[in-house]
Amino acid sequence: MAEDLANLFTAGNMQFLLRGLGMTLLLTLIGGVTGLIGGFLLAYARSSKGRLLAPMRWCATVFVEVFRRIPFLVTLFLVLYTVQMILPRAPLFWVAVISICLLCSAYMAEIVRAGLESVPTPQIETAEVMNMPRWRITWMIVLPQAWKVILPSAVSYMVMFVKDTALASQAGVFELMFAGKALVNRGLDPLLVFATVLLAYFAISWPLARFGHWLETRLAHRHLEGGIR
Amino acid sequence: MNYNLQFGQIAADIPYILSGAWPTLWITFVTFFLASGLGLFIAMARLKGGVAASRLAGLWITLTTNSPLFVVLFFLFNGLPEWGILLSPIAATLIAFTAISSGYLAEIQRGGIQSVHRAELDAAETLGMSRIQTLRFVIAPHVIKTTYPALSNFFIFMMLGTSMASLVGVNELTGRAIEVTSRNFRSIEVFTIVALAYVALSLLASLSLALAGRIFFRVKARIF
Repeated sequence: MAEDLANLFTAGNMQFLLRGLGMTLLLTLIGGVTGLIGGFLLAYARSSKGRLLAPMRWCATVFVEVFRRIPFLVTLFLVLYTVQMILPRAPLFWVAVISICLLCSAYMAEIVRAGLESVPTPQIETAEVMNMPRWRITWMIVLPQAWKVILPSAVSYMVMFVKDTALASQAGVFELMFAGKALVNRGLDPLLVFATVLLAYFAISWPLARFGHWLETRLAHRHLEGGIR
Repeated sequence: MNYNLQFGQIAADIPYILSGAWPTLWITFVTFFLASGLGLFIAMARLKGGVAASRLAGLWITLTTNSPLFVVLFFLFNGLPEWGILLSPIAATLIAFTAISSGYLAEIQRGGIQSVHRAELDAAETLGMSRIQTLRFVIAPHVIKTTYPALSNFFIFMMLGTSMASLVGVNELTGRAIEVTSRNFRSIEVFTIVALAYVALSLLASLSLALAGRIFFRVKARIF
């Protein structure tokens, strides 16, 4: 056991695992930011009105429903094979980025929708009566109130995305779990390696989850203090 | 681009792949009910247990909700043999899924139990209800009504999660897709069919859960 520990905790191995950790963080960050933007566009498209825009609404709904109902692993494999069909030499990192963006956009769309719907409709109707264009209503009336609902849930979902990125290792993408598997393949003790990897995921996930809780209570509190409703 | 979609070639394998839905469903059901029971126990320990039990339950919830299921599964399946514990793929799957989900389900049920107001219990006592009657007519309907949407969402979530079991060799929907792909290399076709199967399965589950909620518990759950 002590020998196994000494074998695992060498400077080289730790550096290798830390690089994997960095990739996991990078993937999550890209997914979170793209997901928030994509999710907003999807939610905005779904809440559009008028018969002309109906096809756009359907497309957005189908996208969200489909990608929320396919396991991330299957999405990942589908993206992997499709990308390899179109560009056989595409780097695997981009496969992971595309899959995580699809997943995040679909999940964030629902969060953003809940946020947009949390704004009382009379306010929006009043703005419509005052002839404000829709993007200005969204920008000046809906978003300043909706972000308090969106942000805490978005952070909580980021915790989920961190854990989902571990699956990217299965498509051969270098990140934390992949680094762990590579160390196991080198003959290091699987029990110790996977326990270390678990701890590393916990070290990302737990502070993020705490931050989400903190945001939730903090923003909810301010919402009550400044309550005009 | 030198890949042509040929669904004809995998036509013979489609029934085999789709029958992988049964393992997917039963694993989901078994782990969901095991984890719900464990979760309820943990939620009660968190709320009504002593200081030590409450702390322990809190620790369990923190640990399980912050660990990736996939890594836990690999830990159980590839790590434990080091200690002489050799788990079969299905045993590792059931243990990992039940353990991880119990944390989430404990949180959901804790929220439900906490949403029962003191005043409701006082009212029940004033009406002369026994403890069993209070549980049956006051607490249970309230808890079920508030937690039902979250529980059914989590059920769908778990169903999608079971796809990870394929990575330790369980032969469910995704596992069969991987197996067939390694035989005939029609990867895109196979995974498209599996993806559609998951969409259909989860839509069906959402519909029946919403319907069951409406009939038995008077819960208005939305599907889309």
